[in-house]
Amino acid sequence: MATNILEAQGIVKQFGGLTAVNNVDFVIPKGTICSLIGPNGAGKTTFFNMITGLYVPTSGSMIFDDQSIVGLKPDQVTARGVGRTFQNIRLFANMTALENVLVGQHARLKANLLGILLQTRAVKAEEERARLRAIELLEFVGLGRQRVDEMSKNLPYGDQRRLEIARALATNPKLLLLDEPTAGMNPHETDALTRLMRQIRDELGITVLLIEHDMKVVMGISEKVTVLDHGGKIAEGLPEVVRSNEQVIEAYLGKGAAAQGKGGGGVRKAVVQSAEGR
Amino acid sequence: MSRAINIGVWAGVFGVFIIVLFGGQSVLAAGLICGLLAGLLAGARTEGETMQAGVRDGLISGAVAGVILIVSNILRNTFITTLVGQNLPSTGEVLSFGIAGAAISMVLGAALGAAHFLPGRRSSYATWAILGLVILIYPFLDYSIQLGWLGIVITGLIFILLALGLNIVVGYAGLLDLGYAAFFAIGAYTAAFLSSSYIGDQLNFANPRVSFWLVIFIAAAMAGLFGLILGAPTLPLRGDYLAIVTLGFGEIVPIVFRNLDTFGITIFGHEFIKTFNLTGGELGISPIDPPKLPGLNFADRSDQRPWYFLLVLIILFSIFLINRLRGSRLGRAWMAMREDELAASSMGINIVRTKLLAFAMGASFSGFGGAYFGAFVGGAFPSSFDFSVSVIVLCMVILGGLGNIPGVIVGGLIIELSDRLFLPQITLLLQSIAQHNANNPSLSGLQRFDPTLYRTGLFGLVLVLMMQLRPEGLLPNARRKLELHADQASPGEAAQSQTDLYDVETEAASS
Repeated sequence: MATNILEAQGIVKQFGGLTAVNNVDFVIPKGTICSLIGPNGAGKTTFFNMITGLYVPTSGSMIFDDQSIVGLKPDQVTARGVGRTFQNIRLFANMTALENVLVGQHARLKANLLGILLQTRAVKAEEERARLRAIELLEFVGLGRQRVDEMSKNLPYGDQRRLEIARALATNPKLLLLDEPTAGMNPHETDALTRLMRQIRDELGITVLLIEHDMKVVMGISEKVTVLDHGGKIAEGLPEVVRSNEQVIEAYLGKGAAAQGKGGGGVRKAVVQSAEGR
Repeated sequence: MSRAINIGVWAGVFGVFIIVLFGGQSVLAAGLICGLLAGLLAGARTEGETMQAGVRDGLISGAVAGVILIVSNILRNTFITTLVGQNLPSTGEVLSFGIAGAAISMVLGAALGAAHFLPGRRSSYATWAILGLVILIYPFLDYSIQLGWLGIVITGLIFILLALGLNIVVGYAGLLDLGYAAFFAIGAYTAAFLSSSYIGDQLNFANPRVSFWLVIFIAAAMAGLFGLILGAPTLPLRGDYLAIVTLGFGEIVPIVFRNLDTFGITIFGHEFIKTFNLTGGELGISPIDPPKLPGLNFADRSDQRPWYFLLVLIILFSIFLINRLRGSRLGRAWMAMREDELAASSMGINIVRTKLLAFAMGASFSGFGGAYFGAFVGGAFPSSFDFSVSVIVLCMVILGGLGNIPGVIVGGLIIELSDRLFLPQITLLLQSIAQHNANNPSLSGLQRFDPTLYRTGLFGLVLVLMMQLRPEGLLPNARRKLELHADQASPGEAAQSQTDLYDVETEAASS
């Protein structure tokens, strides 16, 4: 058993002439919370999409749970144990919260056409179990029972984010990818969500990789931070180390700022603030 | 109270329409329809939760409609019956049938009103039981008062069966299919090949005739198979492009059946299959064997009651299966795919398989319909499956309310009955007025006026108005309604805009 849930090596992704991700090596140790940060357009979401099978890397290898996942379709990757949320919420708008989570369980359910038409005992029992599990997950992410039958597009913004996490958890992932989960949330909601991410790792034992702009969240929660800029990896390591890395400061604030702030604690603060304010 | 009267008046207007058009004893059928309308609408609109209130309002609506029926029956027989040259019934007959119609309307209204307020699930059970009773009684009523609607109602029901199947593809899975008639044709021709002597006649051998009860399932399977075949090239396509491909398929299939009248396979001069007439070309294949069941006579076309009940059973069976599909893992996958294909595949849904299954399942219900249709009309003719069939079925699905089974049924009945029953009857009425008043120049001009010629125009007009006034359909499912009337925000949406404001404010305050 490898200690890394995901091992990516020499990942390159080109869109025509544009290299979105350039020769990135990237590992996620099992049971950790890792963050992927970088300025807009750095290639973070592209990297996510390559893990989940929406894009096929131009070159490079991607080993998930000891098996290569390069070239697999998104649904196959999900079946292997990768769950994800999206940067702009992509819930099934005209389905209820419960149905959304039930759809998440799709790959874990076995009912086939014949079983469904005949409503065999096994199918009925499975459906009942799925329903209970969905409610359990909704409660876990903090959506109460009274919201279960609400159309997902009618939920408040914060709850939609939570529902998306519940839906991703329903796929029973080993690795959960969260794409800017706290985007557009107020500080109070952000704190609650940070706690939830910890709970996901500690209570459910799921490895978490998140893309995040809120440095407070990133620095507070991650065991490892990877910084991308212009498609290349510019820094990696513990949050404290990455925070004081010159290249990182340069990427966020420009060359002048990096030179000015050499050795100064003020720059560190500036990075945090600028990233927060976006 | 005034609401109940209002509903009664509207139901009554519909009854008047029927009585004026058909005359005779049609007041009984009008009573049945008015009772249904009055009871269902009054029940749904009644304020207060008691059963007494339900009964009262249903009764009032039914009674108001009933009075309108009695009066209009008298007026119809006084002024119009002689004008169109029908036999004038006695005054007693006019009155007694009018009162009987009114009574039916009242009883039904009260019963449905009461059923609406039964506790919990019993309410819908009771409502369905009453509707079931009406469905059961209707053909006998039709037969005994010689209404002559049954054949048209059956055609309408076949279209409803098609609409139910198309609803899977369009309503649930969100794949716009403009070639649905192709599967209808495939079902009918499957029945024609298997349960007529046609193939044997062409090739000079006595082919086995497969029983209808088996054929109907084989036809469904064949149509499903062709659903897969059509589905395959559409997989990478979405929206408009998908619609065009299905349109092409819908055009190809009837033409293939039309042109396979010289069919044979010759490769390098070697004749593998001798050229023969496979599909009968424009003339089609007939006769197709009717179903056989001890105690029922399907072969006697003058009494179509067995056909009616058979079709009602097929439709109930289909609804039963579709409901199971809808609430299952598969149904949810269809809807998820409709909402967001990318997110759906990221949730572990195999888009290819799910899409193909939607096409195949939708098509197989059409295959059911096709086999029944073939047996019912006794033949398969390429002209019955042209593009207009696909369009009408699609309109039924949209008019009734996408994704909603009762809506699809109501939409289908309205379209089919107005197209095949009411419009021709209006024409007939006008023609006979003209015929029997040939010496009156102002009336004889009616001879040249034929409303059925305007059917496509009227049909289009209804669609335009409908999409303007009620785009969610007559009986929308709750979702579609929310989607299309977002401006009338629901509590949840109001809450959302509030939290949005809150977010902005607190963020501004904190920074």
